[in-house]
Amino acid sequence: MANELLKINHIHKRFGVTHANNDICMSIECGEIRSLAGENGSGKSTLTGIISGMQTFDEGEMILNGQPYHPENSLAANACGVAMVVQELGVITGMTGAMNIFMGKTGEFLRFGLVDVKAMEKAANAIFEKWNLPKVPLNIPCAHLTMEQRKMVELARALNTDPSLLILDEITQSLSHDTRSVIYELKDRFKKENRSMIIISHDLEETVEISDSVTVLRDGEAVTTVKNNNLTEDDLKHMMVGRKMEGGYLRNDNTPSYGTNVLLDVKNLSLKDKKLEDISFQLHEGEILAVCGLSDAGIHTLGSAVFGITDSPRTGTVTDVKTGKKLHKPSEMIACKGAYLSKNRDEEGLMMQAAIRDNMYLPSAGELSGGAGFTHPKHIDMHAQKAYDDFGVKATGIKQAIGRLSGGNKQKINLGRWLAKDLNYCILDCPTRGVDIGVKAYIYDVLKEQKAKGVGFLLITDELTEAIGMADRIIVLRGGRIAGEMERGTDFSESNIIEVMI
Amino acid sequence: MKKIKDNFEALLPFLILAVLAVLFSILTGGRIFAVGSLRTLVKQTLNIIIAGLGMTFVTAMGGTDITQGSLVGLCAAFAASIGADYSIPLAVAASVLAGIVSGLFLGVVNARFKVPSFMASLAMLIALRAMVSSILGSRSVILPEALRRLDQFNISVPAVIIMVLLIYYLFNFTPFGAYCRAIGENENAVRFVGVNVTLMKIAAFGISGLMTGIAALFVLARVGGSSNVLGVGFEMRIMMAMFIGGIPVSGGSGTKIHKMLIGAFMITLLESGLVMSGCSGSITQLVRGIVLLAVVYITIQAKKRVLAA
Repeated sequence: MANELLKINHIHKRFGVTHANNDICMSIECGEIRSLAGENGSGKSTLTGIISGMQTFDEGEMILNGQPYHPENSLAANACGVAMVVQELGVITGMTGAMNIFMGKTGEFLRFGLVDVKAMEKAANAIFEKWNLPKVPLNIPCAHLTMEQRKMVELARALNTDPSLLILDEITQSLSHDTRSVIYELKDRFKKENRSMIIISHDLEETVEISDSVTVLRDGEAVTTVKNNNLTEDDLKHMMVGRKMEGGYLRNDNTPSYGTNVLLDVKNLSLKDKKLEDISFQLHEGEILAVCGLSDAGIHTLGSAVFGITDSPRTGTVTDVKTGKKLHKPSEMIACKGAYLSKNRDEEGLMMQAAIRDNMYLPSAGELSGGAGFTHPKHIDMHAQKAYDDFGVKATGIKQAIGRLSGGNKQKINLGRWLAKDLNYCILDCPTRGVDIGVKAYIYDVLKEQKAKGVGFLLITDELTEAIGMADRIIVLRGGRIAGEMERGTDFSESNIIEVMI
Repeated sequence: MKKIKDNFEALLPFLILAVLAVLFSILTGGRIFAVGSLRTLVKQTLNIIIAGLGMTFVTAMGGTDITQGSLVGLCAAFAASIGADYSIPLAVAASVLAGIVSGLFLGVVNARFKVPSFMASLAMLIALRAMVSSILGSRSVILPEALRRLDQFNISVPAVIIMVLLIYYLFNFTPFGAYCRAIGENENAVRFVGVNVTLMKIAAFGISGLMTGIAALFVLARVGGSSNVLGVGFEMRIMMAMFIGGIPVSGGSGTKIHKMLIGAFMITLLESGLVMSGCSGSITQLVRGIVLLAVVYITIQAKKRVLAA
């Protein structure tokens, strides 16, 4: 048996009435890649927060390398060889990448009382080279870096502590398909050097693929830990939910099915900064049209550009076919019963401090108001309550503030408040990003139901399984241009799509 | 239990108002609630309320408008000079129009050209005061008798009640009000539901200017004439009324008209109470500052406790 690196004995953590971690026991060996699986709110982030010293625990003990381990903060944890990359972005955007990596350690680079920036950048680049991370410009403020590059800066910061245990919380969800390989290489290297990793990922396929063992959490308890011997996704789903999941929550038909009427006609759409060039497609009644591409292909830009929010001037036309109107601004698309769900739900979708009711009300404010703009509060309540019930939101009621709900519940509200509106079509940018498997299945069901009603969806997604599983057609973008288009049933396969993508 | 805590936060401004009332009736031996001084107190409050009603929309969006001090002076200067030389209706129109134009200008500068509203309105506070001086010079213009009637209780109180009802309706029962609060919560979220945020902001500042233009007429009626120092410090009173009443500085759903109303009474009660208790002018200022700090702190603490529950 290999050496035991970390042992966790009967850890408890409570937030008010919520028992976030209930009597968790776990042990991790040197050189082991461990995944934590569980639905939103099952206590994964709390547990990793405790291990990495960002949170304290109420009861229990942890033992690292045979020594009692009670880190008071993340710096103390770093000193013991434990480092973590958190789920949310954690770089200071006004500082350079190098500064971010050596934050709190700039003293090492002092020369005559000033920080030697050049030496620091050199050292930062050396970390990237040492761990074979993709090159990122480290001498400019992080605000100019992409999300992916910022993640790499965070990863470099964690690696710089020379960790024997590295915790990655949902790192791959902010990385594109091609950059994920960096993580996989890193994993192999960790194993070789007898270091350990704890990985949290909502992507079960990935979880099964990369980990040696999986600990499943449910409602704050560690239900089981299993070795990864021919573990399947379905096994995991079963353990996470605690009941048998119907395997096919995606579509099970194998032929495209949509109406002949065109809902939305996009012609020669280009952006002046060349992020999109000459894009044309048509969205039909009852169609799910998926958009796939690598991280720089512009799939997310396409969504907001069609909606009418762009950083750079747009040319080409977007036509609402039913009314014949040319759409330029978001308000025009919304007037034609269209909608757009941003990928950044918390920043561009919901009002975090406001009640569920107010969030539900916002997109429908126009319809709910009568003469002189009068809106009866009772009508708002009824509207919100209906969407709340229809979408099975789990909360104490429509008056509850949204901030503390789980990601899945937030997404239900985000989607529900639009679908409550009787739409013709809707642009969805990564609608299942960061939600657990139960909510994911639920969202797919809703999409299928709405599709049957004739609603068209432009489904922008980073997950190929989602595109293959749900779409009637897939368009693949590469470098801001359409590189290929496929129909369901003929050439839908992961390898086919990836071939067009790269 | 949760209900009581919820209510506690909602009741806090009322409680503080009650504490101030009791405190000052003891300190002044009840003189503050004699009919004469009560009248003065209410009259002073009405001016703050009128301008505060307009600013509520701006505050709800998380913005600030501190032009009122100078804008009141400018509107009053227009109204008084035009009222003396031409007709009263023209004077009223001039005051209101000057308010709207200034408000819309600030709105465009903030929403279209992205200058933070605090800085933009601070710059205008300074610039507008200069305009007042150049119009009036060092002379004072005496107000025509007809306009002074605005100071009478039987006119001013019903007028303010009507304004409160109108603004209350606009703020609480229309999409416009909801959008203003939503912008304070998350501006992007509002933009992504297809609302023209720029237009909403300009409109909110426009309303703030409009109400300041109306307030100027009442201030003018109270003082009896216009001079180049009229309205100095008015913007601070309005700001204090907002925040002392418990409106969050960041705006959003916590913005409520009744909080501003209570805040307006608190601030005048505090001012008159201190003077009538025999404090010197400088001490009054000090105490006002301390009370503002304390009240805002207590409100934040109360809110935290409610959130934690």
